Amino acid sequence: MVNFELIEFLIGNHQELTSVPLSGQLRDVFALFLIDQNTQLGAKYAKMHYQEFLKDLLEINELAPNSSHFRDESFVSVDDERVEFIDLCALKILYDVCKQDSRKFKRTLKGPRGQQRQSQQDLSVLDRLIAALSYDSSKVCPELPSRHRLLQRLEETLAQKPASVQLGKERAHMTVPQSEFIPICKSEKHAHILSTSVNTSNNRIISIQWSKISKFENENNEFNHCLQTHIHYVPNVNAHTERSLGDCSYLDTCHKLNTCRYVHYLQYIPEFLKEKIAEETKLVNKRINQQKRIPFYTLGNCCADISKSLLPPQWIRCDVRKFDFSCLGKFSAVIADPAWNIHMNLPYGTCNDIELLGLPMEQLQDEGILFLWVTGRAIDLGKESLEKWGYRVVNEISWIKTNQLGRTIVTGRTGHWLNHSKEHLLVGLKGNPQWLNKQIDSDVIVSTTRETSRKPDELYGMIERLVGRHARKLEIFGRDHNKRSGWVTIGNQVTGTCIRELEVKKRYDNFITS
Amino acid sequence: MFNESSSLGSDVADRRNKHVSFKASNKSHTNDFSNNYIHSGSLPQKHVTNIENSVQGYPKLQKLFELKDRQIAQYITTPFGCRVDIDQMVPTLNHWIQNEKLTFDVVMIGCLTDNQFIYPLLTQLALDRLVSKPGFLFIWASAHKVNELNRLMNNEGWAKKFRRSEELVFVPIDKNSPFYPGLDQDDHSLIEKMQWHCWMCITGTVRRSTDGHLIHCNVDTDLSIETQQTRDGAVPSHLYRVAENFSTSTRRLHIIPARTGIEKPVRLRPGWVIMSPDIILDNFAPKRYKSEIAKIGNCIPMNNQVESLRPKSPIQKV
Repeated sequence: MVNFELIEFLIGNHQELTSVPLSGQLRDVFALFLIDQNTQLGAKYAKMHYQEFLKDLLEINELAPNSSHFRDESFVSVDDERVEFIDLCALKILYDVCKQDSRKFKRTLKGPRGQQRQSQQDLSVLDRLIAALSYDSSKVCPELPSRHRLLQRLEETLAQKPASVQLGKERAHMTVPQSEFIPICKSEKHAHILSTSVNTSNNRIISIQWSKISKFENENNEFNHCLQTHIHYVPNVNAHTERSLGDCSYLDTCHKLNTCRYVHYLQYIPEFLKEKIAEETKLVNKRINQQKRIPFYTLGNCCADISKSLLPPQWIRCDVRKFDFSCLGKFSAVIADPAWNIHMNLPYGTCNDIELLGLPMEQLQDEGILFLWVTGRAIDLGKESLEKWGYRVVNEISWIKTNQLGRTIVTGRTGHWLNHSKEHLLVGLKGNPQWLNKQIDSDVIVSTTRETSRKPDELYGMIERLVGRHARKLEIFGRDHNKRSGWVTIGNQVTGTCIRELEVKKRYDNFITS
Repeated sequence: MFNESSSLGSDVADRRNKHVSFKASNKSHTNDFSNNYIHSGSLPQKHVTNIENSVQGYPKLQKLFELKDRQIAQYITTPFGCRVDIDQMVPTLNHWIQNEKLTFDVVMIGCLTDNQFIYPLLTQLALDRLVSKPGFLFIWASAHKVNELNRLMNNEGWAKKFRRSEELVFVPIDKNSPFYPGLDQDDHSLIEKMQWHCWMCITGTVRRSTDGHLIHCNVDTDLSIETQQTRDGAVPSHLYRVAENFSTSTRRLHIIPARTGIEKPVRLRPGWVIMSPDIILDNFAPKRYKSEIAKIGNCIPMNNQVESLRPKSPIQKV
């Protein structure tokens, strides 16, 4: 009946168990013993319970009198469950006896241990926690000291996402239409080969010298495959191009393409690859469209998610500062991209910013999220504004701006002290909405720059995943290119007004006539 | 689904390898990396094409980085470590200020780890006496913590001494990275957090156009993405590089008010005094440091080649 493994464990670790930080806390000792057992193959005590452990420990103490000295053997309070001293000598004697008498030892083991097991219902909280922490012992390196193994397990457990996040991710994966994706080749060698073998004229790729390419192909045979699966960029060499100068800072957005001496590039994708990807994506999206009809996980979705058709784009041309926000109704998500007017030399708060702070943003949402684009000193002001409007800053998204070649922007004195390769988007949360699908996307957007101050469209997809496709969404200070199904766009730069929701239309007409 | 189609694709490719048409498509293509993340799990930042060599394609900038690297390496002190428990940091630094009369031009606080004791350090330390004028302060922490520091930094006394000038961001490449801010994810987080933030503050007066002997502006950017070589310690070299490239000062101090543990050792960096409870070497001696600084000078001297290559403010017409 003697728990031989426990004796062994106590002998091996007697010093660590009684000293700081364990200080002989029996519950911790028990946890360590279990982990120790879990990492050994064919362990008998892998699924032991705490009460059994205590019983075994007391039994050992009975056989080797006073081998363990407890604070109070009656274990009245949790604080009493503490071993203060382990007598190594007494334990070793017991260990030797057990070993010599291994036959007897084996026989005792045949005892009805299983019958003593408590039923599942009687499991203590501790046992359940231990079970929750249970893990695949094959993943853990057995050489690590037990405290590291415990730490590792703890970290794994903390990293575990709640089911809502996992299911939300899964649902996004199964139901969000896929966009066509072709990876970009990062090999400098490939770029070099192409730069010597592609002929361009009139800013188009005319021909490729296959003799050169097949020569390289003989040397490294992944090149051909890479050409067939990745996007490549070939230098667009004109008479005035000077290769030694390096790349143009603006590349495809350069306004002086006909005179700029820096190198510009043309995107090269084989026609068949483009077609193949388009076809594959179409197939995948057909399947995704069918999957949408299977309501396997509906939390955070609106009830008629599938049958409901998306509301077409709506927009209102107005001076945002004078507009009556109350005619718009309430929104789940709001984007604002104000033209911050902060001069570097002023502390802050030029006229425009004060007007911006004065916007009645609190009317737009009872609970929901607000996305606010900020730059430079406005990062601060933006955070203050959000708090003033009743939001908590819960996330900050960085838009990593890339150029035509998928590289970050590193030139062009884009910032005052350092160059700016990213822009900040503050995410404010108001109230405690239960209908959000949290942590599906990551807080880094990588997207190419377009017209001045035009923001990446990736954000719309992220917000639609977060609040749902049919939720009401508003963009303030939008322009024509921001119009989008499911969204209301307001600002003084959109052309005309188009309202499809009757109630909004009625209120808007009242506002105009008043 | 994906496996099927890709194997089908390579079959087709093999079949017509000899006479496959590589005719260029005349439609341009842009990827949506956020959408791709939903479907493939591959994070957007992984697709940036100049991670390993950020100045790829710009020979002048490449040359500038090389020259600056070489010059910085010429004017450096011995790498110093100062192993101090977190609660002993403020007394030690105060001793340096009062008794040893030490000041630094570049002070970096914090690294890429959770559980940093930055707030107590900032409130207890006479930072304005530790940082010389003009001087530069870099504070690295999780986005959440940097946000919390806002209140302190908006406080009038602080804001007068240190002007917040840039917000830097460090992005780990994936979730297996030692720099993945896993513990920063809380229940309120709406979007997975993938970044570390840094406030760069300036004290005293420097002008971008006239103080080229003190600062080199627009050399680095406000964004660093983790590279392959930076996984071996608690502090990726990017953090040091930005500070070194910006300020020409030779007196640099890094304070790490956190335990980083043995998995993430704090390594020494030539030209820096690093104070941390987990620094691998404890060799700092103020006397020796001062004599080394006296030898190499407070600033890296001007270099004509660097001057001609570095980005400068356009000359104002009088």
